[in-house]
Amino acid sequence: MKKLLGKLWDALVYLLLLLGGLTMLVPFFWMVSTSFKAPGAVFDLPVEVWPRELHLENYQRVLTAVPFGRWYLNSLLVALGLTFLNLTSGAMAGYAFARFRFPGQGALFLLFLATLMIPVHVLIIPLFILMRNLGWVDTYYALILPGLFDAFAIFLMRQHFLQLPRELEEAAIVDGATPWQVYWKVALPLAAPALATLGTFTFLAGWNSFLWPLIVTHSLEMRPLTVGLAVFQNQFSTEWTVLMAGLTLGTLPPILVFLLAQRYFIQGLTLGSLKG
Amino acid sequence: MRIYHRFPLLFLLPSLAGFLAFNLGPILTSLLLSFVDYDGLRPLTLMTLQENWVGLENYRRLLEDPVFRKAFWNTLFYVGVAVPLEMVLALLLALGLNRPWRGVKVLRTLYLLPTVTSVVAVGLLWRWVLNPTVGPVNLFLRFVGEKLSALWRLLGAEPPALLAWLAREGPGWLSDPNWAMWGVILASVWAGVGLRMLIFLAGLQNINREYLEAASLDGANGLQRFFYVVLPLLSPTVFLNALLAMIGGFQVFGLVYTMTGGGPLDSTNVLMLYLYRKAFGTFPFEMGYASAIAWVLFLILFALTYLQWALRRRWVLEEA
Repeated sequence: MKKLLGKLWDALVYLLLLLGGLTMLVPFFWMVSTSFKAPGAVFDLPVEVWPRELHLENYQRVLTAVPFGRWYLNSLLVALGLTFLNLTSGAMAGYAFARFRFPGQGALFLLFLATLMIPVHVLIIPLFILMRNLGWVDTYYALILPGLFDAFAIFLMRQHFLQLPRELEEAAIVDGATPWQVYWKVALPLAAPALATLGTFTFLAGWNSFLWPLIVTHSLEMRPLTVGLAVFQNQFSTEWTVLMAGLTLGTLPPILVFLLAQRYFIQGLTLGSLKG
Repeated sequence: MRIYHRFPLLFLLPSLAGFLAFNLGPILTSLLLSFVDYDGLRPLTLMTLQENWVGLENYRRLLEDPVFRKAFWNTLFYVGVAVPLEMVLALLLALGLNRPWRGVKVLRTLYLLPTVTSVVAVGLLWRWVLNPTVGPVNLFLRFVGEKLSALWRLLGAEPPALLAWLAREGPGWLSDPNWAMWGVILASVWAGVGLRMLIFLAGLQNINREYLEAASLDGANGLQRFFYVVLPLLSPTVFLNALLAMIGGFQVFGLVYTMTGGGPLDSTNVLMLYLYRKAFGTFPFEMGYASAIAWVLFLILFALTYLQWALRRRWVLEEA
């Protein structure tokens, strides 16, 4: 009897989890369904759950009425650029802290880590003034270069390099390799899993970033997708079908990256959330 | 053991440059700016700083600024409701999804999908989902209201006003000052619960199963096992998760920006949105004043982190 009750309870929990999971999908479903509806018909009652005729003109319109392709490209360039910078400088500095000994090392590392305490909103005003003074407002420089320093990436990579066995690096040193050669040819390839985790996380954070690009881009052509869509909302506030078509296209890349690199991504997400 | 004994200039150069130019420099500038009346138009030089130095005036003004106060309380309300809601839901989900059932991985993915979606997409999407007449939320509420009202009438009674209201219209969500913040909270819980669940799952998987088995042998039932074994062992994760959620919550911006723009009647105006408006949104810009807001927000986050660490020492069960 007790066993049966346990089984029933398990079944109930499972059913609830399934229902909850499906509820989580409802907004996505609504987005896709609206994106195929006839532009004028979305306010008709009773509401069509799935349109009888698929209206592709919403997608056509979102691609032509605004520089949607350019926004897409910007987001891609910014996300890739940030990832590249972050991995390069983070891995280099992480290696420096793991394999070098120099005076002031501990203090410098602590100073770097302390920046994790500083939320980004403290930085944006002076950073914007700096970008303006450099003439970088509305350029890719402003969107990407601030990613040059990331204490979290340095910390993560240092931990990873510390865990690597030293024998391979030592063998390379005996063969006369310079520190850079040891790093580039021996240590870095061994750090591939950590790079993949950091990379997926940085890419998604870059693709989804909003506040900084909103501040530092002004022209329609330089907006990344997030900012473009937010601005687009004001222009097309009544054209819900077109907006939903844009959103559908915009949420596709992160979801694809997520589904493809789920393992790295979940690691990155858990680690990245520690960044605060 | 081989270690290089010298300064790794080449390796540290990119990070050092980035640190000085994009971190340390801006932090110091921001602190200075918060004591200056600065419109963001004049070139920012030492002269400008000196001539427009106002001391603590920006901070004093904050205390008297009704919009700032409103934004402050709104932010507090948002964090106070959204974070506990998210935490409880996420913990329940993690407990359910921590079992070796078939299809559990797919279920986890379903809950995680909103987490990878950008806040902008979440905000714009939920504006439409919360549409009072044709959005699925109100369609559902109206359906429930109608069915329950019908049931009431079947029993020969007049349905209560709440049901009648649900069946007729339901909440106005983002267009209604009394409901708008609840709409934002709903969207934010939808978007954030997956990540919190993931962190709980990681914590649950670290719990030694032997403790649970021992408790079962001692005759503890499911609830007792949860409150006396799982929860104490999970307490470090709970604290960390709550801290991260609160830090994120105090900095809410994109969601509010896209869903309501702070309205109606400032009912969803939050600190970050107010900061943004002051510094970049409405002319004349008040970058000094906005910097003061930034530092007040920083102090809140700092105090929160400190408080958590202090409490943690007292409440968290350290693993032996």
